[in-house]
Order: sequence, then structure tokens, then C-alpha cells
Amino acid sequence: MASSSLLISLASCLLFLALSPALASNSEGEALCAFKSRLSDPNNVLQSWDQSLVNPCTWFHVTCDSQNRVIRLDLGNSNITGTLGPELGRLQHLQYLELYRNSFMGKIPEELGNLKNLVSMDLYENQLEGEIPKSLSKLKSLRFMRLNNNKLTGSIPRELVTLSNLKVLDFSNNDLCGTIPVDGPFSTFPPESFENNKRLNGPELLGLASYDFGC
Amino acid sequence: MPSSPILFFLLFLCFFCTQLSCTKTEVQALLAWRSSLKDPGRLTQMWTSNNISTDPCQWDGIKCNEAGSIISLSISGCQIDGTLDKFNFSSFPNLTELWMDHNENLHGGIPKEIGTLHNLQYLHLSSNNLVGEIPVTISNLSNLEDLDLSFNQLTGAIPSAILNMSSLHYLYLGNNNLTGQIPKTIGNLINLEELHLSANYIKGAIPREIEHLTNLTLLSLYENELSGQIPLEIGNMTELRIADLRYNKLQGNIPATIAQLPNLSFLYLGNNQLNGTVTPYLGNNSYLEGIDLSNNNFVGTLPPLLCRRGELQYLQAANNSFILLPITLKNCSSLTELDLHENNIRADVSQTLGEHPNLSLIDLSKNRFYGRLPSNLGGNILSLSLEGNEISGDIPKELANSTSLAILNLSNNNFSSLPLIQAPALESLHASNNKFTGEFPLLQQNWTNLVTLDIGKNNFYGKIPSWIGSSFPVLKILRLGSNQFEGYIPPQLSMLNNLRLLDFSNNNLKGPIPHVLSHMHSMVIKTMTNESYITYFVSNTNEEESIDFMWKGVEATYQETIALLTGIDFSCNALSGEIPEDLMKLQGLISLNLSRNQLSGMIPNNIGNLTSLEVLDLSMNILSGTIPPSISHLTSLDTLSLSHNKLTGQIPSGPQLQTFNMSDFSDNVGLCGFPLPNNCLTHNNSIVPLVENEAGYKKIEVIWIICSVILGYVIGFWVYFGALYWKISLRFAIFQFTDKMQDKMMKWCGRYFH
Repeated sequence: MASSSLLISLASCLLFLALSPALASNSEGEALCAFKSRLSDPNNVLQSWDQSLVNPCTWFHVTCDSQNRVIRLDLGNSNITGTLGPELGRLQHLQYLELYRNSFMGKIPEELGNLKNLVSMDLYENQLEGEIPKSLSKLKSLRFMRLNNNKLTGSIPRELVTLSNLKVLDFSNNDLCGTIPVDGPFSTFPPESFENNKRLNGPELLGLASYDFGC
Repeated sequence: MPSSPILFFLLFLCFFCTQLSCTKTEVQALLAWRSSLKDPGRLTQMWTSNNISTDPCQWDGIKCNEAGSIISLSISGCQIDGTLDKFNFSSFPNLTELWMDHNENLHGGIPKEIGTLHNLQYLHLSSNNLVGEIPVTISNLSNLEDLDLSFNQLTGAIPSAILNMSSLHYLYLGNNNLTGQIPKTIGNLINLEELHLSANYIKGAIPREIEHLTNLTLLSLYENELSGQIPLEIGNMTELRIADLRYNKLQGNIPATIAQLPNLSFLYLGNNQLNGTVTPYLGNNSYLEGIDLSNNNFVGTLPPLLCRRGELQYLQAANNSFILLPITLKNCSSLTELDLHENNIRADVSQTLGEHPNLSLIDLSKNRFYGRLPSNLGGNILSLSLEGNEISGDIPKELANSTSLAILNLSNNNFSSLPLIQAPALESLHASNNKFTGEFPLLQQNWTNLVTLDIGKNNFYGKIPSWIGSSFPVLKILRLGSNQFEGYIPPQLSMLNNLRLLDFSNNNLKGPIPHVLSHMHSMVIKTMTNESYITYFVSNTNEEESIDFMWKGVEATYQETIALLTGIDFSCNALSGEIPEDLMKLQGLISLNLSRNQLSGMIPNNIGNLTSLEVLDLSMNILSGTIPPSISHLTSLDTLSLSHNKLTGQIPSGPQLQTFNMSDFSDNVGLCGFPLPNNCLTHNNSIVPLVENEAGYKKIEVIWIICSVILGYVIGFWVYFGALYWKISLRFAIFQFTDKMQDKMMKWCGRYFH
């Protein structure tokens, strides 16, 4: 039952994606539809996502501002499985990206670095892998970045020290390696923010050459 | 050569066979094809014989001529799974009819050998799964009258040779994936009676050569990508009865020549980019029955002669820029459906509606109709929508007592009085934003069909009657907001087992929120429905319910997801008492707004039970105590407002709570913790002044100490020396005292050291 309704809503989503080039003004809705197409949603949380509407502002779990631009995406704890696609980067006014406690897999798309208004990125407690994209250093408004409890690998990009608004960061419980930056906002994060990364070697050694080892 | 005798023998056999119309090759071809199929479906039982000889003329679906050769092969809906690749078309020289439609697993292409069926008159391959292009060889079938390839997945352009077959009477190619343009050779189809090219991707203009189709009665081109203007040559198609050109990209005016067509009954032009005025002569020459001009850019007056012959039943002109209606419309007594919504029509509604005994579906919404409703609105009315006009006065009794009325939308007008409504078939009643006044409207107390009741934004007063609970068994939406209702919320509301959306906002209601509201069954269960629309099946059409709903600070129209909205809005009243804990059983709620009341006590501890909640607004009350930690379980919450209360204590932490701002908690004297800037002290909850960090705090202390020390020195210095300076007697006294002490000391020292 649920699968047939999922199929129908997904089909309607994709049908309009394919046959409505005139809906260019609805590119945020298209982006969300493309996002939905990569997902399996047994709880039918995305049942209200109907691409045929003028904008996605009446969709549940989507919040818009007064000019009908998406500012929040709240899908935490929704039993969703799937991957994150580059289309999320098209939500130019997004402030809150809440995708925590699901089963998102694959990499964090580097296009998320385009979300210049993003204040909160909560991708924690999923199964994301791959490296933390360097492009996330473009998120100048970011205050909260929680990627803990995933399977992220690689080193912590040094570029993230430029995020001067960052107040809370949590990379714990991953598989990160190398050293922890100490500049900028990183000087304020407690060690708990990085714990349980077996291959993480502690704060970076400042000197003539700062380098990552063991990565 | 060893093969030549064999060859000679075969040739002889063939000759022999054709002379005797040898059914042996025919039956062999049939059986060979059947054995090539993945699943012959019903053919297995249809093509069997009891005798030893296999005489196909006895088989189901096969007709033969006197010589025993197959002339008709009918295998529709036989659940065949396979292709036509091994079908030996050339074995059936006498075939005149081939019916192979409705086999949804018949796939693959149409072989070009089909062109060898020289005697074929009827070819039906519709509703299969055929792909590929239409073979040009079909144009070799010089006797073909009926060609039906519709409802397949055929691609490519229509070969111009096919549109050159003057033998054709019926050509159905609709519901495929055909592209390209309509060939100009179409003019040669002089015998064509019906043409279906609908639901494809055909581009380009309609060729002017259609003027030669003087036998065509049905022209169906809807749902394509046709562009350009409708050729004025259409006026020469003297037999044309039905013209369906909807859902294309046609532009320009409707050619005036269309009015001269003597047989035109149905003209469907909806959903194009047509503009200009519609020729006023339309309807002069023929018995028009149905007109669809909707979703274009037409202006001016609706043509006055549409109903001249008294046959017009269906008039659909929605979503244009028409401004005037002809007076002839009022006398068009044959009308059954009138849809003029979303135009700029300025007319007196009593001059528009009136002598329409058969009119069952009326939509005049979003225009500028004025005046008062006529009293003879017709006894067969099923759906009446007048929303968004300037109509005033009362609702005629005939309408209020209609036994057929299912949908009534009067919202956004200037109506002033609502009589007792006794319409037992009513499913949707919208009367919001009018000037209605008086007590709760006297509705009949037994509404087995009412799903939506919206009387918000009026001047109703008095109490909300308790019989509301037992009178609306299927009610899903109840909106009484923005009136002057007073008194208590009747606990009998809890009997409304299907209620999803409850809006009593902006009234003068007082007293407590009844805890029995937790029994509203439809709000207790989480929304698990396949249908996100609310539809009413009215006169063979589906009408969809829609409401304007304010949510997350934005007012929007909800139609596609209206059945999923589950919410309670009691904001802006004078409700008092506590928020009942029982209310937390309503796990289906996605929106709860109790703001701007006088609710006191604590927020219920188990607020975390409302796991579907996206919007929680409890602001502007006098709620006290701490915010329950279970609020952190609300992981779908995206709008939270607890500001302007008397809440105290630490704001709980949690994944969604982290995403809210100071303003969502402001004006709560005792509240502390993130996101408010003031930290909570562990032993009491008093406010601590804002400091940057511990070092800063110590800094201030140090400064105070230094200041007081310096001050002490300065005061001490000036007190002593100031006194010495100013008071002579004091100076004397001090110097005398010092001299005496000095003497004493010397005497003591001298005595001690001798």
C-alpha cells in the first residue's frame, strides 16, 4: 500500500520533472523532487511533496520565507534511506538543513558548499562516507556543523578555519584521520567534538610546516 | 543442379495452393507464429481442433470465405505475450480484417511485411505495447479503411505516405509517442471521417490542407505540441462536428470562418495560447452543444449566439480575460454546466443565472459579479461556486433547501444573511469572509454528508452549539475562526470522529480546553492515507476541496495535500486553565496553535508524544513552570513559539531545539539557557549578568580592589595632613603628644641600657 502510494507520488514527481520545462520558476521544487527521487521513504514522510504545485512552500517538512524561498528542510529522525545529491545546493536561501538520524549513505555532496545562507548543517547519525568536502568552507553563515556518528574518512579540511561564525562543531564518531586544526573557531571546540576518530592524531603541530600524518 | 527439382516442386505447390486458396499454408503460418510466442495466452484454446484435420475456419475468431481462405482474424484481448516478428503476413492474401488489439504484452515493432495484406480493410493493433516507427508499407494497403494503432508506444513521425491514403475512413494514431509534423498530404484523405492524433508529441502548425477533408466529422488533435494559428481553412470542413484541439500551443485568434461550419457541435480549444475576441457569430450556423475556451487569453464579450439553437449544454470559459456576458446566456435553458471562473466578468448575477432548469454545475468564482442571487436557481443544482465576487443579499430559500446541492461556495462576497440550510446532500459549505451575522447558523441537524464547513471571517456571535458534535459524522474540516463566538468550547466536539482541521481562532471563547477533545479519533492516529486530496464525485467529475490556511507564518491554498493537514487552532481567544495532558494523545497533529489566550499552568510533561508536530505555538499566554524535556522528542518541529509567557528554568536541549532562536523564547522572565543569552546557575535560576568569559569576571574584581586601595590611601593622606594643615590646635596637640612620647621613649631607653 505504502509502496504503491510512494510509487504514485514519485511518478507524479518525476512526470512533472520531465514534462514541465516551463516550471523554471519552481527550480527549488524541482531540486527537492530530485532529492526525493534518490530516497526510500517507508514512513511516507514525503507524501505531501507534489511537484505540480507552484512552489514547495505547502509541502510538509519544508519551511519558506515570505517570498516563497525554502529556508528550512526538517527531515530528522524520519527513517529515510538513500543518498544526497548535488541538487540540494540549489536551495540558495536554505538556513537549516536537518537530516540527522536517518540512513543517508554515500558522500556529502560538495555542492552543499553553495548554500551561502546556511546556519545549521545537521547530518549526524547517518551512514555518510567519503571526505568532508573542502567546499564547506564557503558556508560563511554557518554556526552549527554536526557531522558526528557517520563513516566519514579523510582529514579535516584546513579551509574550515575560515568559518568565523561557527559556534558548535561535532565530528566525533567517524573515521577521520590527520590532525585537528587549531585556528579560528577551532580553538573554542572542546575535545569531545572530535573523539572516537581512531586515526585522528590530535591538534595540529604548528611550526614551519603544518602537515597531516597517518592519513 | 540438385536444388532445381525441389525448387520446381515448391513453386508447383505454391501455385497449387494459391489456386485452391490452400488453407494449409495459412494454418501453418498461424501455428508457426503461435509457437514463436513467449505465451500464446488464449490462443492455445482458441486455435485447437477436435478432428485430425486442422481446419482453422472452425476456430474462434477466424472467419473464412467460401473457398476456405481466412478473411477475418480476431484475437483481441487474448493475453498474448510475444511479437509479430514471426507472423507471416504474406500467407494471408485474402485477409480483410485483422483485430489484434488489447494484448498488453504484444510488443516489438510492426513488421513492414504487413504491407503485403493487399485486401486488408480493417487493421486494429491498438492498446498493445508496440514500439518503433509506423512502417511506410502500410500505405500499400490500397483498400484500408480503418487504421487503428492507438495506445501503443510508437515513435517517429507519421509517414506522409500514410496520410496520403485516400481509402482511409478512420485513422486513429492517438496515445503514442509520435513526433514530427502533420504532413501536408493530409489533404488527400478525402474520405476520412475521423482523425485521432491526440496525446502524442506532434509539432508544427495544423496544415491548411485540412480544408479538403470535407467528410471529416471528428478532428481530435488534443495534447500535442501544435503551434501556430488555427488555419481559417477550417471553415471549409463542412461535415466537421467535433473539433478537439485542447492542450496544444496554438496561438492567435479563432478564425472567424469557424462560425460558418453548419455541423459543428463541439468546439474544444482549452489550454492553448489563443487570444483576441471570439467571433460573435459563433453558434449562428450550427447546433452547438459543448464549448471549451478555458485557459487561454480571450478578451471581450462571450459570443452571444452560442445558445442560439437551444442545444448548448456545456460552456467552459474559465481562466481568460472576458469582461462581459451576453444577455442571451440567461435564456439558455439547455445549459447543464457553466464554468466562467477566473475572468474579469462584471455582470449582475441575477441577469446571468435564472432560466436554467438543467444547470447542475456552476462556477462563477473569481470574477466581479454583483447584485443578488435570483430565487429560481434550478432544482437540479449539484455544485455552485460564487467565491470571490461582489454578490450581496441573502441566500434564496430554494437554494438552501435544495435536495441535490453537494458543493456550495459563497466565500469572499458580501452576503448578509443565511437562512436555515436543509440541503441533505451537501458535502462542502464555504461561506467565509462575508457579512453574515447572527447566532451559529441554523443548519439542519443531520448532515450525513458534510465534510467541510467554513464560516470564518464573518460576524457570527453567541455560543457554539453543543449539537455540533453529534450532527456531522463525516466532518473533516471545521472553521469558525474570526467571528465573535463566545462561551465555552463544547466538549461534545470530541464526538467528531473524522475531524482533521479545527479552527476556532480569533473569537471570544472562554473557559478551559475540554480534555475530552483527546477522543477525536481522526487526530489520534498518525495520518496514514493514500489519498492526499479531498474529492467530491459530482456529476461524473471530481471536484477537489481546497482551503486557504495560515501555517508557518504564510497563508497558502491547500488542495493537493489538504487531507494530510491535521491541526487545532484556538489562538486569539480568552481560554483559561491548563493545557490538558490528554490533548497530548492527539498524535496525528501536525499543527497546534494555542497562542494569545490566558492559559496557565505548565506545558504538559508528555508534549513529546505529539511526534508529528511541525508547528507549536503557545506564545502569549501565562504558562509557568519549566519547559518539559520531552519537547526534545519533537524531531519534525520547524516552528516553535513559547515567547511571552512566565516559563522558568533551563530550556531543554535537543536536536530540533538547537535550531530555534532567542525570539522563540523571549519575554519569559525565568527562562535561561541556549538560545537565550543568559546562562542558568546550578543552585538557583536567577539571572546572571552577561559576561564574556571567566577571565573578564575576574578582571572586574581586580579593578575594584585596586580602586578601593588607592582610594583608601588618598583619603587617609588627606584626612591626616589636611587636619594638620587647617587646625592649629590639632597641630599643637599632635606635636605635643609626639614630643611627650619622644621624652618617654628616651627615658625608657636610658633606664633600660644602664
